[in-house]
Amino acid sequence: MCLALPMRITAVDGALATIASAGLEQRASLMLVPDAKVGDYVLVHAGFALSVLDEVEATGTLELLREIGAFAADDAVTADDAIAADDAG
Amino acid sequence: MEVCGTHTMAIARYGLRELLPEGMRLVSGPGCPVCVTAIADLDRVVALARLPDVTLATFGDLIRVPASRTTLAAERAAGADVRVVYSARDAVQIAADEPDRQVVFAGIGFETTAPTIAASLLESRARGLANFLVLSMHKTMPPPLKALLDLGETPISGFLLPGHVSVITGTACYEFLARDYGVAGVVAGFEPHDVLQALLRLVRQTRPAIEIEYGRAVRPEGNVVAQRLLEQVFAPSDADWRGLGIIPGSGLALRPEYADADAALRFPLDLEPPLEPAGCRCGEVLRGVTDPAACALFGGRCTPEDPVGACMVSSEGACAARYRYRGVDD
Repeated sequence: MCLALPMRITAVDGALATIASAGLEQRASLMLVPDAKVGDYVLVHAGFALSVLDEVEATGTLELLREIGAFAADDAVTADDAIAADDAG
Repeated sequence: MEVCGTHTMAIARYGLRELLPEGMRLVSGPGCPVCVTAIADLDRVVALARLPDVTLATFGDLIRVPASRTTLAAERAAGADVRVVYSARDAVQIAADEPDRQVVFAGIGFETTAPTIAASLLESRARGLANFLVLSMHKTMPPPLKALLDLGETPISGFLLPGHVSVITGTACYEFLARDYGVAGVVAGFEPHDVLQALLRLVRQTRPAIEIEYGRAVRPEGNVVAQRLLEQVFAPSDADWRGLGIIPGSGLALRPEYADADAALRFPLDLEPPLEPAGCRCGEVLRGVTDPAACALFGGRCTPEDPVGACMVSSEGACAARYRYRGVDD
């Protein structure tokens, strides 16, 4: 019910954004995150972006994933991957 | 105790219970919005769906949940106009496309979802639509946490606090847990490592405090724009919770300024007294008093395919999670 997916904003048209994740594109309202801009990752729930994800914090998540071996150490992994991997919840 | 259905699912799916050291036990609380919706409220939704002018729009979660005598799915099969939508905005669009229909949105969900309904209501106003209505059964998360601790039935030493509710609320609303009850809380994300990290932070606390593990999405102050929107459209009200009864101030009712969009006022209905499903212990499961597998109906008379109670219907109910991942999550 409280499922929210991280998706990247690819275009903004007034209070509506085009958002994309894993090849899937849809529209979401930015009414609750008026400062969100193209390129941001947002958490999307029921057609609304709820929060702009913090890239610094996501990088911390990546470090943790590395630590527990979810990614091989020599993989070229970016903060984007960490956010994109974060597709549950 | 985790109080978010999505945490319940993550814990079951990844078999996290099995990894816990001796002395640590995870119990599910009242975190699944469909599960905590009272039968009387479900009866009202069904009765609205039966009205000839009404199109009942709802999230898919609600469609198979048993009300006293029927479900929305059964009513739809019998001819009621029930439509599943992904967003409340889709219901606003139905109201715009079909001006002869009274489109009632069945508003369930916690602080994560309620702002999207508030925003949709404002959008319908801005578009001049008089036929978009809301039946608000929205609830807020801090009051049931307090109610559970006041009941004292379950020895809870810490909460995994709900990640996406907290995206909206921030953490100030949970401070009373540590301050007044000496109970710790960590706001957790939904990946398995998030849950484990949050549990680690809970046990490492030397004195109870409220922390954020899910920092990539949750700020201490929450989403202030969404909070303002909630305050603009809703006012705290008493709400009926399955398993917990009426909790003062735990609901979100439409403010009087939005009375013309309040489906409960537009369509006053006399309802028969609600009937609880016989033998179902969903209420006790929601309070963390009874383990899902301890219910005599679990896995026999009550399965996701043929559910008796809401906790087995909703994909994120504690009973459904346990049943689906049996063998992994025991």
